[in-house]
Amino acid sequence: MFSFVQRFQNVSNQAFSLGIVIVVFIMASSYYQLINNKAFSIPSNIDNVKTLINVRTSRYFGSQRGKAKENIKIKFDLNTDLTPLFNWNTKQIFVYLTAEYNSSDKIASEVTFWDKIIEKKENAVINVNDLRSKYSIWDIEDGKFENKDLVFKLHWNIQPWVGLLTYGETIGNYSLTVENKEKV
Amino acid sequence: MNLRSELQKLLNVCFLFASAYMFWQGLAIATNSASPIVVVLSGSMEPAFQRGDILFLWNRNTLNQVGDVVVYEVEGKQIPIVHRVMRQHNNHADKQFLLTKGDNNAGNDISLYANKKIYLNKSKEIVGTVKGYFPQLGYITIWISENQYAKFALLGILGLSALLGGE
Repeated sequence: MFSFVQRFQNVSNQAFSLGIVIVVFIMASSYYQLINNKAFSIPSNIDNVKTLINVRTSRYFGSQRGKAKENIKIKFDLNTDLTPLFNWNTKQIFVYLTAEYNSSDKIASEVTFWDKIIEKKENAVINVNDLRSKYSIWDIEDGKFENKDLVFKLHWNIQPWVGLLTYGETIGNYSLTVENKEKV
Repeated sequence: MNLRSELQKLLNVCFLFASAYMFWQGLAIATNSASPIVVVLSGSMEPAFQRGDILFLWNRNTLNQVGDVVVYEVEGKQIPIVHRVMRQHNNHADKQFLLTKGDNNAGNDISLYANKKIYLNKSKEIVGTVKGYFPQLGYITIWISENQYAKFALLGILGLSALLGGE
């Protein structure tokens, strides 16, 4: 009745159920900590955003069939404290600065200008001035960036040690209309 | 040795494989993804995902958000890629184009896309969005698929235990 196979099956079933209980407990407790630390209402201060526009002709900058493509970069100040996102189930924070805008009447867009991986709680305070964006952005449509309204937001994503990925955004948007300036 | 009990054992083995297959296909229907559980094969998303980690996917969303980690399959290439969405452009309905990048890569994924395209089509190329994570356990499948002796050993043990193990 108690063959080797059956014993093995019992042990692995037990281990599986216990594993699920532990994972659920870890997820619930870390979520409780996030709520407790007010992680979903972290203030951030995006400020002093300056835009730089130039024209590229490479496929890796959105140009297709040799047509020149307008690219936009920014410089910005950023001030925030992401310490509340760290708890015992936080492996890393991926924090990213995006802009939302309308490419045309029909197309809504959101693009990432800058991002950062934070692995340690000690590095969770971000305080930078005049930082250059990591990415050069082109639009999917042929439209120019001039006079477009960009709304900047700071988002975060918690990569857990185990369980569900958690997303959120900080409070403090920054709006800007791209000015009609000479190319840089 | 009687034929009836031998056939019974054979039936049990068939039942085992059939139920595993049904579970997998049921999960695929529930998540609307062709492969709802994937194992990470490369280090392009480190330190978030390492080789051997298991990811659970969901594909019932019509649009993706910027920052989502998606699994996509480029036509003509067999290997699914796990990367993060950097940009999204949608038509306020069900049509969406995405640009992706691996956290650990310097540049975006344009060089990986098929036919000189510079965007992914959400409805055609996205296999699923990563929702859940379990570390390291997927190493078993990597080990089995990359080591031919392991494959034979596993099949042998499964077959032997099913045929020899009397109830």
